[in-house]
Amino acid sequence: MSSTGDTRTNLAETTGPHVEVVETDDAVSRRAREAYFTATQRQLIWARFRKNRTAMIAATVLILLILMGLFAPFLSPYDPTIKGRDKDYTNGAPQIPQFCDHNGCSLRPFIYGVKRERSIETNFRWVTSIDTENRKYVQFFVQGDPYHLFGVIPGEVHLIGVDEGFIHLFGTDDTGKDIFSRTLHAIYTSLAVGTLGVLISFVLALIIGGAAGYFGGVADGIIQMVTDAIRTIPIIPLFMAIAAFIPDTWSSETRFFFISIIIGFINWPTLARRVRTHLLVERTQEYVLAAQLSGAGAGHIIRRHLLPSFTSYIIVDLVISFPYIVLSETALSFIGLGLKDPVNSLGVMLQNTTSADVLLNYQWYFIPVFFFIALVLAFVFVGDGLRDAADPYASSKK
Amino acid sequence: MLHFLQFAAVRAAMALFTLLMVSLIVFTLMELVPGNCAERYLAFKNTQGSGISVEDIEAEERRLGLDRPFLVRWGSWVGNVFFRGEFGDSCILRLNINDLLGDKFLISLGICLTALALAYLIAIPVGIISASSNSAMLNGSLRFVSYLGLAMPNFLLALIIMLISTVVWGDSLTGLFSNEYRDADWSWDRVKDFLSRAWLPVFILGWSATAFALQTVRALMLDEQSKLYVTAARARGLFGRRLLWRYPARHALGPIVNSLGFDLNRIFNELPIVALILTLTEAGALLLEALARSNDQQLAGAIIFLLTASIVTVNFLTDMALALIDPRMRKSVMGGAA
Repeated sequence: MSSTGDTRTNLAETTGPHVEVVETDDAVSRRAREAYFTATQRQLIWARFRKNRTAMIAATVLILLILMGLFAPFLSPYDPTIKGRDKDYTNGAPQIPQFCDHNGCSLRPFIYGVKRERSIETNFRWVTSIDTENRKYVQFFVQGDPYHLFGVIPGEVHLIGVDEGFIHLFGTDDTGKDIFSRTLHAIYTSLAVGTLGVLISFVLALIIGGAAGYFGGVADGIIQMVTDAIRTIPIIPLFMAIAAFIPDTWSSETRFFFISIIIGFINWPTLARRVRTHLLVERTQEYVLAAQLSGAGAGHIIRRHLLPSFTSYIIVDLVISFPYIVLSETALSFIGLGLKDPVNSLGVMLQNTTSADVLLNYQWYFIPVFFFIALVLAFVFVGDGLRDAADPYASSKK
Repeated sequence: MLHFLQFAAVRAAMALFTLLMVSLIVFTLMELVPGNCAERYLAFKNTQGSGISVEDIEAEERRLGLDRPFLVRWGSWVGNVFFRGEFGDSCILRLNINDLLGDKFLISLGICLTALALAYLIAIPVGIISASSNSAMLNGSLRFVSYLGLAMPNFLLALIIMLISTVVWGDSLTGLFSNEYRDADWSWDRVKDFLSRAWLPVFILGWSATAFALQTVRALMLDEQSKLYVTAARARGLFGRRLLWRYPARHALGPIVNSLGFDLNRIFNELPIVALILTLTEAGALLLEALARSNDQQLAGAIIFLLTASIVTVNFLTDMALALIDPRMRKSVMGGAA
């Protein structure tokens, strides 16, 4: 792009001692065309993807959310489990840091402290009140609950905190757990479940779709009939039935893996069909025949020759299927058949929100929902952008 | 005609095969639950104070026919379902499943089919208009709305509607009947009461179905519009709505009819969760209860089977409808098994 502009300015100095090799516009455009023809598939997809503004914005949001999820232990002020709870501020409203109040302004944002008391005036019930005289200043890089970043790196420095006491940007739930910390950890959980689920459905789709597509004929017919039968069963009720078998004695980690595996099963038929269709087209190509004549086995041909021919499409499909896997997990956890309490996920966090008490009094329970809508939307837009970018006929159509 | 009958027969056989497969899967799942009916009956007796022994369990198993091999039991279950419409007894509640389900399944089916119809009533005209218009504003906002429909699952929408309605009107809009009609017999007043409450689940279930349908219709219309026959029709002087309805819309109809079954599947997926939030008293909620609370495998199996059977029926009907409107489908008796 910029080289075109440079050549124009250079054209005036075609004589003199410092004559450079000047390219005509024609040569430049030829070079551009050559670059286009010799570009790898990945470069082409990236070039097309970059032009899609919505997809680029979505990609930025997505990367931000992924980073938030990955660095959740550092970014969140407290431990998201019962360990990090604030027992003096249960069902507490969000505390928004402010700069000014009736006592004047400060450069460092602050929140008010809370008092919890029970006396004859409050009818002997615990009442939490805000003490506007007690300012708590927001601090950065404070020591707090110990954690393990990425599960291995130990640390106890948190990005934000207050001098003494707690800060709850999104409020707290009924046990006093910080909703902001839980939201960040829930993003991580969703990403982990999604990744695991996508990988599982990917492997299944490759094996089943690959066999159907490569062998064709009778094998294909049988596999297709069976997958079609499975596809007609409403998948969530079916997996609810499977998830109901999980014994309560399982640890939360085992449960997490089992749920991810179940969710991975949800998606494979669609993906398997894509793999099959592609293989049916590709397997009659000359390069496959050449490999067969050289004595290569079926597995070898599928792995070495056929799979690389459509990895980029598979990646696009995986990105597209990601949000549905995340949403399935949320739905399962929400009805109590998915992940359970010590693990934080959006479904777990929303479990108790249908009660009138929460709906009327504690609306901040719903703040995490917006993060998840953002996460899913970002994935959908990026997936869509990638699909358009990976479609070689997309540009010729318009 | 002969072609059509042949096609219908093949499709009916395939539907039957699918149903058999599904019944096998459902039956296996039911069997996988630890503890069989005999043990449960006797465990119940045990709580009543009378002691039980291994022999008692075996006698009970013989009485219920549970000592027969797996495939025989499956056969008799399928036979009862197919020929007599009987799902047997639920051994937790000790009630006949048909009585338990009652009209609840029909209510669920009604709600889901209405949601589906609503989705396409909105999606077809809007999709066609958006595909043929060049307005970036219109297309952009439609795209956003339909993505939001995809990204915001129905249960989140239901939660948010509940949140807003509780805060604004002080009524959470839940349930399918008001108190006085809950156990009443069907009457005109009960129907009116039902309709005044059923619109919300229909709307919520229809929400993401509309988003999906809108995407499908728009993509199909865009595909069809760039084809040569449309250019040819335009060259002959056809334009505007007349052109759209006469040519591309007809071609796009086939895949849309074809996708109805899968859309119904998607709606069924959302049903139990929406039912839980809105505390609907229908099959979806019953299924959830059977699975999550009482572990009632017979009831859960029956509901899953019924849901799948209605999808298979819709698939069969849409295949027939397609064969009627599109002669190409008839020719490919075996092929095009989409």
